[in-house]
This record gives sequence, structure tokens and C-alpha cells, in this order.
Amino acid sequence: MELPENLNKDSNGYESAEKIILRWDSTASEDARERMIFETDRQEADLYLQAVDEIQRSLSNVSISTSSNAGKNANAVDDQSKVNTTIQIAMARLEDEFRNILITHSSALETDSLFDPSSSSISTPSHHELEEDDTLSNDDSSHHDLLQLQLQLQHCESSDSSTYRSTSSIREVDLMPSEAICDLQAIAMRMISSGYLRECIQVYGSVRKSAIDSSFRKLGIEKLSIGDVQRLEWEALESKIRRWIRAAKVCVRILFASEKKLCEQIFECVGTDIDDACFMETVKGPAIQLFNFAEAISISRRSPEKLFKILDLHDALMDLLPDIEAVFDSKSSDSIRVQAAEILSRLAEAARGILSEFESAVLREPSRVPVPGGTIHPLTRYVMNYISLISDYKQTLIELIISKPSTGSRYSGDQTTPDMEFAELEGKTPLALHLIWIIVVLQFNLDGKSKHYRDASLAHLFIMNNVHYIVQKVKGSPELREMIGDDYLRKLTGKFRQAATSYQRATWVSVLYCLRDEGLHVSGSFSSGVSKSALRERFKTFNAMFEEVHRTQATWLIPDTQLREELRISISEKVIPAYRSFLGRFRSHIESGRHPENYIKYSVEDLETAVLDFFEGYPVSQHLRKRSQ
Amino acid sequence: MPATDYQASFLGRISIRRNQVIAMDGNHEQELQDLELFSKHVSERFAELLSSPDDVPFDALLSISWLRKLLDFFLCCEAEFKGILMMGNDPSQISKPPLDRLIPEFLDRSVKALDVCNAVTNGLESVRHYQKLAEIVVSALEQKPIGDGQSRRAKKALTSLMSAMNVDDKECSAAKATERSWSFSRRGVSSKDRVPEHFRSVSNQVAKNWSAAKQIQAMTNNLVPPRGAEGSGLASPVYTMSVIMVFVMWALVAAIPCQERNGLSAIHFPAPKQLNWAQSIIGLHEKIGEEWKKKEKKGTAGLLDEMQKMEKLGNILMDFTDSFQFHGDITDQKAEEAAAHAAELAETCRRMEEGLLPLQMQIREVFHRIVKTRTELLNALDQVGKSSPPLL
Repeated sequence: MELPENLNKDSNGYESAEKIILRWDSTASEDARERMIFETDRQEADLYLQAVDEIQRSLSNVSISTSSNAGKNANAVDDQSKVNTTIQIAMARLEDEFRNILITHSSALETDSLFDPSSSSISTPSHHELEEDDTLSNDDSSHHDLLQLQLQLQHCESSDSSTYRSTSSIREVDLMPSEAICDLQAIAMRMISSGYLRECIQVYGSVRKSAIDSSFRKLGIEKLSIGDVQRLEWEALESKIRRWIRAAKVCVRILFASEKKLCEQIFECVGTDIDDACFMETVKGPAIQLFNFAEAISISRRSPEKLFKILDLHDALMDLLPDIEAVFDSKSSDSIRVQAAEILSRLAEAARGILSEFESAVLREPSRVPVPGGTIHPLTRYVMNYISLISDYKQTLIELIISKPSTGSRYSGDQTTPDMEFAELEGKTPLALHLIWIIVVLQFNLDGKSKHYRDASLAHLFIMNNVHYIVQKVKGSPELREMIGDDYLRKLTGKFRQAATSYQRATWVSVLYCLRDEGLHVSGSFSSGVSKSALRERFKTFNAMFEEVHRTQATWLIPDTQLREELRISISEKVIPAYRSFLGRFRSHIESGRHPENYIKYSVEDLETAVLDFFEGYPVSQHLRKRSQ
Repeated sequence: MPATDYQASFLGRISIRRNQVIAMDGNHEQELQDLELFSKHVSERFAELLSSPDDVPFDALLSISWLRKLLDFFLCCEAEFKGILMMGNDPSQISKPPLDRLIPEFLDRSVKALDVCNAVTNGLESVRHYQKLAEIVVSALEQKPIGDGQSRRAKKALTSLMSAMNVDDKECSAAKATERSWSFSRRGVSSKDRVPEHFRSVSNQVAKNWSAAKQIQAMTNNLVPPRGAEGSGLASPVYTMSVIMVFVMWALVAAIPCQERNGLSAIHFPAPKQLNWAQSIIGLHEKIGEEWKKKEKKGTAGLLDEMQKMEKLGNILMDFTDSFQFHGDITDQKAEEAAAHAAELAETCRRMEEGLLPLQMQIREVFHRIVKTRTELLNALDQVGKSSPPLL
């Protein structure tokens, strides 16, 4: 038949091609091992590729001839076998070249160049307003812990994306010079058309995976087990979460996206299935590793201080989700998309659970040691700081919190839980209802705590201070105020005013009682109708009472200056005129007797000055200052 | 008694419970019945696993489909277990002795199991990798007649495959092997800069010091059967479920290459033979343990049945390609044998192709289930008020 002759006609081309291939057979010669074709020079590389093409052409010719050759032409079979061997040698060589080019250009991503240097501060978290007058005594260790806790309630960088200009959206970078990509393309084409696709994918995957691994190390992505994450202190985890958020953005938007582009470029001519396969081969493991950390966080035990970092993580992942879906858009990457969505949903659950847990904890908070001086309880500060932060996260939480707070059904008896009328809170978002509920629960708890004060006046003062603080905090935050609503704010205001009134009644009614008119006049006596002994008793009692109140209540504290002033004025307005009028009417009777100084100890001015000592939180000397003597 | 809905939330159950006046006797009987049923089901399921007929090759011990069955059974047992927990008379029981100790231990074991799931998933990526390499071998040897070129190609792939299986098994985090061997030996060329960095076949996602064997050993801590009065009530199913969990994790680790498995066979299960449900588990443990010891002697890769087959066939085919290379000509008979082995290998690859992904998904399902139960238990504990961290 003619075909073998055809073969001979091309045999020159074939033979020289074969020679080239064999020359570069690395199993055969030292020289072939020493050098890499694609590093040598362009011409060598081109020649080699042409040789491969020539061999491939021969292969298809030979197979046509052998298959159409009915007779067992031993030559043809031998030829085919020889060509096959040559192909294999060529493929093995190309594989090495492929690997070599990849390795030469595979290093960790230059992450530094991606960040905008002007704003790449290791972001100092902006502290949400911590209390200025942190006059907490440190003797009670629980208060000290609370201070620690407060310091942890830091509102960290709210918008990461603005800090790093390049990680707010997908941005592919060139991972390799285009010349390298061309070479890789050329090699890949030949490997694939010779049926060596699998080898190609294997080599590609392993080298690129290694590059990604080093990028991961650079980005500080750790391999922590779930057990590790459960064991670590939350503070340590917070910084890891921050780092993860930054790293994840770079990974998804730059690293993975660029890898995908690289696959597409190299395997451009051979169809999307292949570049998908290569991409997944490279990226699947690292992607899972990346998400494992977020998953570990999402299943950690719930406790209140975790809320805000979990929300940060949730928001970051939410923001990334569209890009994750864009980068991992093939069927084979289903599991990654699914995992990301699962983690997101767990984080949302966790946030809801933590809020719920927080509400219970506020209700249950059991500390009984009364705060000295009736001042603001650490619980109040903590809770109000907490819900202020919650209002900062309003945007996210409004989406997440979808059910009303459970206000009664969870607890057995009615005594252990307050009421909340929902009717009057129509039209409020569930989040707002939760915030109001938290305040309700806080007050309920505080009411219970106030009962530990032996002095009823102090109990009222305590309530007044704390509810006033709540009102101030609400007023101080526009978001919070908007959610709580002015109606409820009015209610709260009314409550602390009423506490002030109750305080005054509790303390001053009996003091003012001394200055009443009744019981002093004796009818039908010669001395203008006033019982001197009764009068003296009155003065003595008044003095003793006032002194006692002065001594005690000087050590009580109203932290808010304005409130302090107001209360003092209110006291003065009741006491001073009454005393003045009493003095006016009855001093003559005392002064006409013996030792008037024992009874009229204080002038009106003395009392006015004394009132200024009230609620300062300092003990004063036993004796009131006397101006008149 | 309302029909239990395994999916209903624990929380919902508690609030209903508290408001009901429960007739003690009726419930107690029901509970005992449920406990018995639970034990019975466990017993049956594991007996089935133990007695997988050898003539049905698919279900061979520690094959992919056997593992899938195992995980399936785990999920069933877990669902029953949760049902029992929820049906406890007094929801605050979980905070009373002995559960106040047993439940936190159980939760700790759960976390460890989660890490094992992740490690096994990672390990399955390795197995997938072997599959891909084996497919190259199959593809090379499929062509008839087998020529020198195909043989060399197959040999190259086989070398990679065998070394990958061995390296991954040695789990040395320091020493790695090149994933695909260079076509020529490069051992002598260390002076050249071009010597590639050693890279693992699959990127390892597990922390460096993590040890699968140690993890499972730790899971057996405090795993003792409840004694005496403790045996009634919920302590018993908690113990049962714990044993099941540990066994399943142990079996997975035995089958699939995971980091650091030395000492796996030394792990004992404190499951006394008296407990009838435990007998099958103990039987399986012994069987697998023996295989493991054999493997440790031979130095073969994990016990996954398909992997064992792959290794065996790989060795045979390696011999074949060697003889091809050195002797050139091969008899028709040898060629036919090789073709048959290649076909077997193709079959093994096919089974991996079909089964690995579903297996991975099942492990993920197990992961989710464990997380869910753990979350609900934690919530329940918080409800009872004992275990939540104090605010101040």
C-alpha cells in the first residue's frame, strides 16, 4: 500500500523532529538534565514545540494507516509504538518544562503592594465612648472585671473596605509575566491534545497550591483547629478575627480571582471545563482552610461580649458573598459556596442567640452588694454601653433580629420577670423592641438591687441615679433615641423624677415635721401660747436629724452635676423657707431662755451651705460649719 | 405523649414541659421503652456492619460504601439519641448529677469529633489525588497493544502514586515528597537552584501539631459505662452515643489518611461485653484493629478498601512496567494479565469517583448534626442558668 510510503515521504520531517525530542530526553542524557529548554532561548523552545507538533501529526497519520490496514503490518505497529514512545518522551519533557516555568514564576502574592500605604494602619479601633466618670472603686473585684469588660467593648473599624482601596471588589492581578503564560499555554495545548491532560492538571495544581500556601502564610492565615478556637481567650480571638477579615478579602477578591484568571489564560484554547478543573484543583483546599476558621468562630459558645466581633465577621462575610459566588461559579465549587452560606447563617444565629443570652443575663445578674453612695451601678453602665454599641450595628441587626423578645413564656413564675406592654409599642422594629426590653429588664433588676439598701432614701436615690443615667445615654445617641422612641423616654424620665420625689419624701418629711406649727401652741397659757419645752425639743430634734442627714447624705453620690444641683435646689426650696419661717416665728422664745445656742445651732446660711455638701460622695466633718456664733 | 419530632427545637420542648403536669409513671415507662429501643437499634445496625458479606465486594469492611453506611447509621443513632434527650422528664435534669458532669464531657468530645471530621475531609482530598494519579495509569495501560511509551507513562504515574501514598502515610510534616516525580532522578543535583521546593501532594489544612490518634485517645477520656443507679436515666444513652461517636471517628481515621495516626490501634474502647449493643462495635473494633496492625507492619497506606486495592494493583502494575522496560518484549499472557489488572484499577477508580464526593458530603452532614446537637445542649444548659458566663 502507499501509505507507508507516504510515511517515508514525511520521514525527513519526522526524523528530525524525533531527533530533537530524543536529544532532550532527560532520562537519557546528562546534558538534557542540566538545562531547561524554555530557559535557554526562544528559538530552542520554538523548535521543540514544532518537533512535538510534527510527531503528533505523524501519530495521527500512523494510526490512520494502521487502522485502515487490514493486514497485520508489523512495521506499522512498530512505527506506531515508536511514535508513541517518542510522544511519551516529549510529554514527560514538556511536563518538566511546564513545572519549571510554573515554579519560576510562583511565589507568594506581593500583598504589601496591594494595600494603600496611607491608610494601612494596624487599625486602631475607635473606642466607643467609655464613661468619663469611671469612679468605680476597685475593692469589689466584680467591678474591676466589669471595667475590663467595658474596655473590651470597643467598636472596631466599621468599614474595612474604605481602608484598603484594593480589597473592596474583585481585582485580578497578573500572577505571571505574559511571556510565561504564552509558554505555558503552548505546552498545555500540546499535552492536552496528546491526551496528557491529567498530568497537566496535576502539575499545575501542585505548584500553584504551593504558591497559595505561601501567600496564606504571608497573610497570616493560621491553621487552627476548632478545639483550639474554643480554648482561646476571646480577646485573642478578636484580633484573629480582625486579621481574618482582612485576609479573606484579599484571598477572595485578589488571590483566588487572580488564580482563576490565570487558569483561564493558560487553558484558553481548550475549553472552560479544563480551566475550572485546574482552578478547583488549586484552590479548593485553601478555600476550605480559609473558611474553617470562620466556621469555628460561628459555632463557639455564646456569650455577650462576643456579639460585636461576630457581627463584624457576619458583615464581612455578607459583603464577600457575591464575590465568592462570582469566583466559585462552577458546579464543582458548589461545596465552597454552600459552606460560606452556612457559616453566614450560623453567624446570624449566633448573633440572635447572644442577644437573647444577654437579655437573660441582665435579668439574672445576681450581685447583691449595694453600690456605695447609691451611685450608678456597673451593670447599668455595662448594659447602656452595650446597647449603644448595638445601635451602632443597627444596620445589620435590624436585618438579623426578626422576632420579638420573649417576655414571659420562658420563665416559670410571674415574680421573676417584668412586664412589657407591646400594644403601646406598635410599629417598632423587633430590634427596637429588644432594646426597650433590655432597658425594662435592667430596671427590673435594679429595682431588686435597690431593696438591699437598708435606707429607703438611698434606695430611691439609687434608682434615680441609674434611671437618669439610662435617659442620658439614650439621649446621647441619636440612633438609640430614635429606636427607643420619645414615648418610652418620657416614661423613663417620669420614673427618675418620681424616684427623686420619693427620696425627698423619705428623707425630708420627718425632718420638716419638726418645723411644723401644730403641737407648739398651748392654748390659754400666759406665755403667748408656745410651749417652750416642746419648742426646744423641736429644735433639738431638727438639729440632730439634719446633722444626721447631712453626715450621711454627704457621702451619697449623684454623679450627674445637673441632677445633683437640681435635687439640692429642690431640697433647699423645701427646707430653707421652712426653717427660716420657723426661726422667724420662734427664735425669740428660745433666745429668751437659757443656752439658746444649744437649740438654735444653725443659721439659715449655715443650712444653705450644708446643703451644698449633699451628694458629693465625700464624708464631711461631723460638725456643720457654723457661721454665726 | 406527643409524637416526638426530632427536628423540633430543644428550647421549644422545655417551655412546654414546664407548664405541663406530667404523670410520672406514664412517662417513666415510655422513657424506659425508648432507651431499650435505642439500644436495640444500635445493636442491630452495628451487627449489620460487622457481618457485611464478603462476597459483596462493594460493602467490604472499610470500603467507601461501608463507610457511607457507617455514617448513615451514625446519623440514625444520633437522631434517636436526641429524641431521647428531649423526652427527659425534667429538662433541668441535664444540670444535675450525673449529667452535670457527663454532658460537658460529651460536648467536649463533640468538638473533638468536629476536628476529626475536618481532618478526614482533608484526607479525602488526598484519596482523590491518588484516584487522579491512578486514572493516568489506567489511561496509559488502556491502549492496546501496550507499547513502550504507555508503559513509561504508566510507570511514571505509578511511581508518583506509590510514593504519594507512602509519604502521606508517614505524615511527617517536615519531610515531603515531590508530587510528581521529575522524569529523571534529581537526587544528585542539589547544588542547582532549580531543585524544586518540596511540596505535598495536597495542601495540608490541619494544624502542625494536631494528631488524629491523640485526638481520639482524648475522646475516650472519662468514657466509662455508668454504674448502678446512674445506669437508669439519661446517663446510659449519653454513654452509648459517646461510644458510637468515638468508634465512628476512629474507623474514619483508620480508613483515611489523616495526620499522625501512630498509636491508633492502642486505643481501647471501654465498652463492656455485657452491653449487648456493644458487642458488634467491639467486634468491629477488633477486626479493624487487626488490619491496622498488619498495615503498620507492611507500611501500607490507610485501610480504605479501595486504597488497599489500589496499592496492591499499583505494585503489580509497577512490576509489569518494570519488566516491560527492562525486557522489552512481553508475552501475550502477561499483557492480558496486565490489562485485567488495569481494568480492576479502573473499576476501583470508578468507585472512588462515584463514592468520594457523597462520602465527603455525608461527613459534612455529620458535622452539621454534631454542631446542632451541641448548640442545643449549650442553650439548654444556659437556660438552666448554671453554665453561662456571668456578666459581671
